[in-house]
Amino acid sequence: MRTTAIVLIALLLSAPSAFAKVKVVATLPWIGSIADEIGKEQVEIATLVKPNQDPHRVEARPSMILATRKADILMYNGLDLEIGYLPVLIESSRNPGIQPGKPGNFDCSHFVTALEKPVSVDRSMGDVHPLGNPHFHFSPARILSVAEGMAGALSVLDPSHADAYKTNLEAFREKVRAKQKEWSALPTKGRRFVAYHKLFEYLAADFGFTITAYVEPKPGIPPSAAYIERLIGTIRESRPNGILTTPIYGRKEVDFLAGKTGVRGIVIPHDVGATPGAQNWFTFMDQALSALVK
Amino acid sequence: MKIRCLLVLLFSATLVSSSFGEDVESRLKTLEDTTAKVTGLFGGSAMTNPYLSLIVNTFFYHSGLSQSELDSRTIPGFTNVPPGTRKGFNLESAELFLFAPVDPYLNLYANIPVTEEGVELEEAYFVTSSLPAGLQVKGGKFKSGFGRINGQHPHAWDFVDAPLNYRAFMGAEGMGGEKGIQVTWLPELPIYLQLGIEALQGENDLLFGPDAKDGPHAFTFFVKASVDFGDSSTVLFGPSYVAGKADISTIADGTTFRGDTDLFGFELVYKWKPSRGRGFVLQSEYLYRKQAGDLRTGDPADPASTLESLKRAQDGIYVQGLYQMDRWRIGARYDVLDPFKKDFILSGTQQDLGKQPWRATGALEFNPSEFTRVRLQYTRDESSRDGKADNELYLQMLLGIGAHAAHSF
Repeated sequence: MRTTAIVLIALLLSAPSAFAKVKVVATLPWIGSIADEIGKEQVEIATLVKPNQDPHRVEARPSMILATRKADILMYNGLDLEIGYLPVLIESSRNPGIQPGKPGNFDCSHFVTALEKPVSVDRSMGDVHPLGNPHFHFSPARILSVAEGMAGALSVLDPSHADAYKTNLEAFREKVRAKQKEWSALPTKGRRFVAYHKLFEYLAADFGFTITAYVEPKPGIPPSAAYIERLIGTIRESRPNGILTTPIYGRKEVDFLAGKTGVRGIVIPHDVGATPGAQNWFTFMDQALSALVK
Repeated sequence: MKIRCLLVLLFSATLVSSSFGEDVESRLKTLEDTTAKVTGLFGGSAMTNPYLSLIVNTFFYHSGLSQSELDSRTIPGFTNVPPGTRKGFNLESAELFLFAPVDPYLNLYANIPVTEEGVELEEAYFVTSSLPAGLQVKGGKFKSGFGRINGQHPHAWDFVDAPLNYRAFMGAEGMGGEKGIQVTWLPELPIYLQLGIEALQGENDLLFGPDAKDGPHAFTFFVKASVDFGDSSTVLFGPSYVAGKADISTIADGTTFRGDTDLFGFELVYKWKPSRGRGFVLQSEYLYRKQAGDLRTGDPADPASTLESLKRAQDGIYVQGLYQMDRWRIGARYDVLDPFKKDFILSGTQQDLGKQPWRATGALEFNPSEFTRVRLQYTRDESSRDGKADNELYLQMLLGIGAHAAHSF
């Protein structure tokens, strides 16, 4: 009797069996999309942040705590992007498997080299990320590294399906390579843009265009009327190929600047699902890049 | 994080000044890489330093009453403790927060508000991170999970001051840090449901009194449930209960009360966040407090002092709403005592304590960044029953530096 109880409790508390799907909790939609490419039918994905939310300003909802409580692996962007809610989620989840240092704690940024890592930083500079620009999901090479990391992490948690993860990774790698050729053929090189927020630096670095100015005077600080006035002058003078922004913020300012200067305002999805049709990471990148050269 | 950066900067500066001709750039790069590699849960930092942050809470206060009237302003039948605010400039506190993981099993937090009166240890507690089955244990000195505002630090409140029912039943800062132990459980259910129990020393001046009984004598139980409605709406609600022994002198000047305290609470929060810059929060808490025991008027050592039986069964509620539009936020709050129950039975006789205490508050906030808040608040205060009504004005500034502490819901 007693042994049965102990066995039952042990079963209840034990890690997922070989038959159960690996429960992945992804903070951002793009992470969920890559996890889906690598995990396919072996995983069950819950994404915490909705595509219409600003990833910088997410509030921890109790339902997010509940999702992380049930997670086998928590996958997050890193580079402090989730600093406002993730530490409290991890602690409140009461889930030993996803604590820092555990195989169920997967920081995507550990697999990439960050751009714009400041040598010195303080908050007078605005919302600068001290560990570097965190928006690396626009970089195909970096996404491939993240995907490799994911395949490794999933194989550790779920060794019985390691071969499946490897196969999925190979398929993903091929797909990225094919797409990469298509994307590199787009005439993005040498173009110049103005951007609302420091969001497109990886896109610029990988696809050979430059961002000459920002609508935000400092990251996270909205522009004043006087600053916009000055920017109108700069844009009229330098005639960039477009002013970049996202569907969820900076629209008003960019529409105004576009109207004043005649330079095209370009809406780029900031994440998977942010615009209709950008339902996975590939279509998201398709939309972002084709918008640049339209 | 910041301290680390500063250290790196200082160190780099020394390098630059002391080693001309060397490849400073590459050495800087190496330094930068080595520091950046050591990243932790709360952001990039080294293990030698806990995460540190300092929050300064300062405000200007004006009232229609004189300072001496303010200093003797009580809520008759509830508390004789005045709000303690000075007309003119006030420095509420500079709150120092320290936190870090202790080891793979525990996280440690400390909250040390520094005021002009001195340094307090408001909180110092551990939280387990690796217990199985959704269990978590918190121990040390911490803010109780009873109710909603109780667990928040004053800088995170939506108004300068706590609502009337908190002031009347727990004091101007809520129950405050209590020594004890807490166990919470988050079962794996389709909805969020957290259950918690606590054993506390029980030292709150209004509920228990520091010398009430051999501790621990205060016990709490609380439930918090939450459901989402679509992508933008969340509701959180649940009851709380605390019971303990009372030995207090906060009912009226020159009195001491000995007996038992029961405090019931119910919290309800609705949050609507349709888009980036916009949001609405509706929040309410109902509190009902029962106390039964003996009230002594006069010095207990004095044989002329009188002893009467006292039964108090009183309640209070606040309702507040806040609407956010980009960097601006406006809020309104109504708080009232005795809405449903106003028993104050002294020696078997219900006492007539006068008019019902209530307040109405409006606030306007500007948040230039995530780390600064400027708040203008007006309160119409009719909390002192038949005493004078008051008009109060606050201009508050809250500033935070250091590590970015994540906020709970």
